[in-house]
Amino acid sequence: MKKILFFCTGMFLLGSFAAAQTEPAHIGRVKGTSGMVSIQRAGALKPAFPNMKVYLNDTLLTGSDGAVGILLEDNTLLSMGPMSRLALDKFDFSPAQNKYALQLRMEQGTFVYLSGLLGKLAPHAVSLDTPSGTISMLKDTNFMARFGGDE
Amino acid sequence: MKRIHGLFVGLSLMAAAGGCAGKDNLLVLTPDDSGRVGALKVSNDGGEAVLDREGQALHLGDRHTPPGALAPVSSEERALFAAALAAQPLAPVSYLLYFEFDSNNLTAESRQRLDDILRAARERDSRDLLVIGHTDRAGDADYNAALSLQRAEAVRELLAGKGIGAEFIQVSSHGEGNPLIPTADEVAEARNRRVEVVVR
Repeated sequence: MKKILFFCTGMFLLGSFAAAQTEPAHIGRVKGTSGMVSIQRAGALKPAFPNMKVYLNDTLLTGSDGAVGILLEDNTLLSMGPMSRLALDKFDFSPAQNKYALQLRMEQGTFVYLSGLLGKLAPHAVSLDTPSGTISMLKDTNFMARFGGDE
Repeated sequence: MKRIHGLFVGLSLMAAAGGCAGKDNLLVLTPDDSGRVGALKVSNDGGEAVLDREGQALHLGDRHTPPGALAPVSSEERALFAAALAAQPLAPVSYLLYFEFDSNNLTAESRQRLDDILRAARERDSRDLLVIGHTDRAGDADYNAALSLQRAEAVRELLAGKGIGAEFIQVSSHGEGNPLIPTADEVAEARNRRVEVVVR
């Protein structure tokens, strides 16, 4: 019985590994853009357009006339104004496994953050790194933030 | 070495110019649709501050500067966020459609709601709709699993027939396992015979 269980666990791990290898799951989508908006992914910069999927480790950038809004899979809504830079460092929304994480890096610019299910179900799993320090969620909330850039 | 040094000076001047170009860094707590705010904490090498009231603003320096004093947000400060606010996407919206007993026919009332779903999808330019089927607890669980999937697929066909790309619609079904109104087994409950449509 033990052996069977071990075998099953092994197969399961293999299965999820294979799935992760073939197609990493997106963590959200670009919903609207104006002006110049790009996504930096694996070292390359590509223009962002509505309904484009965003992935872990993407960085979103806006130009001097740019603005963008994105919707993450847990319904967190994020938007940013001109000359802004946001890195998507960590995202895990798996209620069935009780696994939650959201870590974003607001490097520069103006941001509007509207909390989603992650903030509701696991506020303590939400953490935002900024040039002024770390923002941690004590109780599910919306906020706006502005950062002039790195020190 | 000199060249490296020169590069460093150049970089730090750029960084300094970037840092001074704006005013302070700023954090503002804002309410949700129902007017409620939660709470957040900012912490850095200089200390920490907690924001827990609507419209509270906090000025911040770099990671080493202690957070400033809390004050109500001013209209000039609010104006800084105009472009980011204008780019804010519409929140996802969900609809419940109800079915006749033991059937995948929508009730007449729910049929009327399809146009609302189409409008929401258009407003969001949505390519991401979830259609989740459910049943009540009359009949056995396997039968209900099949019925809830049929209901979800029927809704997908109706939406696709009205012009939403079928490839944008994800169908799933929960059978009788996720009732809206909890009941004993074998109870026919109209409010549990439903399909939830989420437009993202």
